[in-house]
Amino acid sequence: MGLTKASPASICADLRSAYHDCFNRWFSEKFSKGYCDKEECVVEWEKYRDCLVQNLEEKHLRSILMKAEESSFASKATDDSERSFSHQ
Amino acid sequence: MVRAYKQEHVYCHPWDRVATASWRKFTDPDTPAVLSHVLDVHTLSRRLDASSGHLHTVRSITVRSPTLPFFLRRLVGGEAVVCHCIETSVVDPRSRSMDIVAVNASLRGLIEVEERSSYRPHPDNPEGWTIFRQETSIRCKPFRALAAVAEGLNNAALNGSNRIASRGASSLSGSVGTSRLSPPQTPQLPPFDALKMA
Repeated sequence: MGLTKASPASICADLRSAYHDCFNRWFSEKFSKGYCDKEECVVEWEKYRDCLVQNLEEKHLRSILMKAEESSFASKATDDSERSFSHQ
Repeated sequence: MVRAYKQEHVYCHPWDRVATASWRKFTDPDTPAVLSHVLDVHTLSRRLDASSGHLHTVRSITVRSPTLPFFLRRLVGGEAVVCHCIETSVVDPRSRSMDIVAVNASLRGLIEVEERSSYRPHPDNPEGWTIFRQETSIRCKPFRALAAVAEGLNNAALNGSNRIASRGASSLSGSVGTSRLSPPQTPQLPPFDALKMA
C-alpha cells in the first residue's frame, strides 16, 4: 500500500455535500429514531457514487468502492464487526 | 509488538443525537480545527438491510499522519505523509447501537492500527446519556535492523493517536452542543465520567 496525494476525488465534492446533507437529515430525523424500513437519498447517492467510480484513483479505495456492489463484502464486514464487539 | 489502550466517554445527550453528531464530525463545513488532520472523507459503500434494519457503511478517511521519525521519512520519501483509513460501521436504530471499526489501509507493511468504537445508551440513563467506548491497538512491524528504534515509533504513534482520539471526543461534544436539534439536557454526571480520556 503506497502513499498517494490527498483529495483524489475532490472533483466530487459538490455531489458529496449534496449526499451528506440528505443523509444527515434522514439519519437524524428518521433512521436514528427507529424509522429504518426505507432507504432514502438514493438519487444523491447514485450521482455521488458514479462520480467516485469515474474519479477515485487510489487503488485500494477504488477496489472497495467497486466490491461494495457485491453484497458479500458488506455481509462479511458486518459479521466480523458484530462478532468482535464483546463489550456491552 | 502491540500497544493497546481504551477510552470511555459519557455524552450527556441521547443516543440518536450523539450518533448523528458522529456522522457529521468529519464532514461538516464548520468542523473545528482540532480535526484538521482529516483531509478527506468519502462514503464508499452504504446498505440498509431491509430485514434487520441495520445500516452498513464503509467510508474512507484520509488523514495527515503525525510527523514520522527521520528513518521512516527517508523510507517513505517525504515529510508530510497522507494515510488512508477504512471505516466500517453498523448502526442498529432499534437497539440503539453504533459500532465502528477503523483500520489503516496505507503503510500496513510498517504499522497496523485498528480502532474499535461503539456508541450505546448509558445504562444509568438510557434516554438521556450515551456511552462511547473505544479500543485501539497499534502493531508495529519493524525491519530487523530497525527493531531497536521501532519501540520509539510505537510510543510516538500511541501518543499521537491518543491525542487525536481525545480531540475527536471533545470535538464531538462540541458538535452535539451546537447541533440544531433539541437543546441539551443538564443531568448529573455519572460517577465514572471521571474515566473519560486521560
